[in-house]
Amino acid sequence: MSKYYLAWAKDEEIRKKGANGGFVTATLVSALENNFIDAALVVAKKSVYEGIPVLTSDPEVVKECAGSLHGAPINLTKYVVDYAAKKRIGLPTKPCDARGIIEQAKRRQVNLDNIFMIGLNCGGTLHPLRMREMAADFYELDPDSVVKEEIKEGKIFLVSEEEGGEEKEKWIKIDELEQKGYGRRDACKSCVTKIPTSADLACGNWGVPQGEKKTFVEVLTEKGEAILKNAIDSGYVDIEEAPGKGIEMRKKIEAGMQKLATSWKERMDEVSTLSRSGRFEFYVDALKNCIHCGACKEVCPVCACEADSKCLDMNDERDSYAISMYNMLRIFHLMDSCIHCGQCEDVCPVDIPLTLIQRRFSERMQRHLGYIPGMDVKEKPPLYETELRWSAEAE
Amino acid sequence: MGKSEGEEWEPKILAFCCNWCSYAGADAAGLERRQVPPTIRVIRVMCSGRIDPAFVLMGLLEGADAVLVTGCHIGDCHYVNANNKTRNRYEFLKEFVDELGLEPERLWLRWVSASEGPLFAEMVREVTEKIKKIGPSPLRREWKK
Repeated sequence: MSKYYLAWAKDEEIRKKGANGGFVTATLVSALENNFIDAALVVAKKSVYEGIPVLTSDPEVVKECAGSLHGAPINLTKYVVDYAAKKRIGLPTKPCDARGIIEQAKRRQVNLDNIFMIGLNCGGTLHPLRMREMAADFYELDPDSVVKEEIKEGKIFLVSEEEGGEEKEKWIKIDELEQKGYGRRDACKSCVTKIPTSADLACGNWGVPQGEKKTFVEVLTEKGEAILKNAIDSGYVDIEEAPGKGIEMRKKIEAGMQKLATSWKERMDEVSTLSRSGRFEFYVDALKNCIHCGACKEVCPVCACEADSKCLDMNDERDSYAISMYNMLRIFHLMDSCIHCGQCEDVCPVDIPLTLIQRRFSERMQRHLGYIPGMDVKEKPPLYETELRWSAEAE
Repeated sequence: MGKSEGEEWEPKILAFCCNWCSYAGADAAGLERRQVPPTIRVIRVMCSGRIDPAFVLMGLLEGADAVLVTGCHIGDCHYVNANNKTRNRYEFLKEFVDELGLEPERLWLRWVSASEGPLFAEMVREVTEKIKKIGPSPLRREWKK
C-alpha cells in the first residue's frame, strides 16, 4: 500500500528548524498532543558530534530536537525495547533503526502495534571521531568551533562559528573525502537500504522539487496512515499529492546510491583477495585484541539476549583459544540476522573491524538463504526454523 | 605432543553420537569386531538436536582436527523432528567453518542408524584418511615444551 505525498509543517517555527519542512517533528508533536502516542523517542543535539536519545512526552522537547544530526550514529532500537511493551511510542527511524526494531519484534522483545516508526531516508552517518579529524585536517577548522553540519548534493558542509559570532561555511565533496578514508562510516558507505521500507512512513527530501522546503512522504502501513491522518486533522501538517516526476526522481536517487554502495562494498572488502589460510590468519589477528567487554552485544540491535547470554556465558578469560568463544558465538548467531548497521564497530574499545567481519560471515549466508533481515516481521530468523527453505541435502 | 620421530601423525576426531541410533551403530561396529580407527572420541547425546553449534565450535577450539555430527536418518528421529534442526544448524556451521578459513572437511554430518555398524566403521576410516591428508587444524594450539 504505497502512497506518495509531499508534506510540510504548518507551524512556521518547526518548518524553519526542520531539515526538510519539519514534517517529522510536526507529526510527532501532533501525535503527542492528541495522545496518539504516550511518548516520543528523539535524539537531542548536544553538539554536532554528540546526540543523546531522549524519551519524552513534552512536545517542546521534541520541537527542540528538530533537524538532522549526521555526526551521532545512534541506533535507537535498544532504547525502545523496555518501553514499548506497555506504552505507545513514536520515533524517527533510519533504515537500520527500523530493521532493528523489526528484528526485536521477531524475537518478541517489543510489541510492534505500540511503535510508530517515522522512517527517514538515509544516505549515511558520520563517525564523530572521524568527523573531528576531518574538520581539522581537511576543512582546516577548529573541531570545537563547528556548530552546524549538512550533507547535500554530494557535499559535506561544515559551518563554524568564529570569534565575534561570525559564521563561516566550508564544503568538500563526499567522494573526495571517502577516497582518503574519511566521510561516512564504513557500514553506511556499503549500505544498500537507503529507504526504510519496513517503517510506517518513509520521509526524505529525495523527489522534492528544487527549492521547495517540503518532505517527500511514502505511506507504508496502516499505522503510518493513521499517524499521518492525525497530524493533518490536528492542523499541524499539510499535504499534497506527490508529482509523478518526483517519485521517479526518488527511485533514481535510491538506485544511484545503491550502486555506489555496492561498489564500495567490493572496494572495502580486503578479505576477498586472501586465500583460505590468509583469511584464517586475518580473522585470528583481527579478533585477538578483544577484551570481551560485551559492548558490541549490548548495542547490537538484533541481539535479544540479556546479561546471561550464551556468548558471554560460554566464554572464559582463561581459555587460550585462537579465537575466543565469545567472538565465535557472536558471529555465528548473527549469520542470518546481521543488518550491517556497524554499531558494534563504533563502540569497540579496541577497534576491531567488526563491520567487515560480520558482513563477510552474514552476507554469504543471507544470500544463500534468500533472506533479508529486518524487512518482514512475519519471516522467522532461519536459524530458528526446523526446515531450511533452500534445499540443503546433507552429505 | 609426545610424538617420536618417524611416527605417523594421528588426528583427533570428535564425534557426537545420538543415543538412539549412531551410538548404537558404533556399538554394533564393535560387536561385529570391525576395526575402527582409534582417532575418534565419542560423546553420547540424547539426540543430535541437542548438539548446540557452540559445542561444535568449542570442540574445534579445544583442538579437534575434525568434528563429526551423527544422528538418525531424517524421519526416524526419536523426538519427532529434532534432526531436521540439526541439519539446519549444520548448514550454518558449514558456511561458518568455510568462511573462517578452515577446510570444509573438518565438519561432517552423517546419518547412521543403529543397525549400520559397518557404515559407522567405514565412515570413521574415511574421515580419518581425509584429515590425515589435510593435516592438523590451524585452531589447534600445541603447548611448547
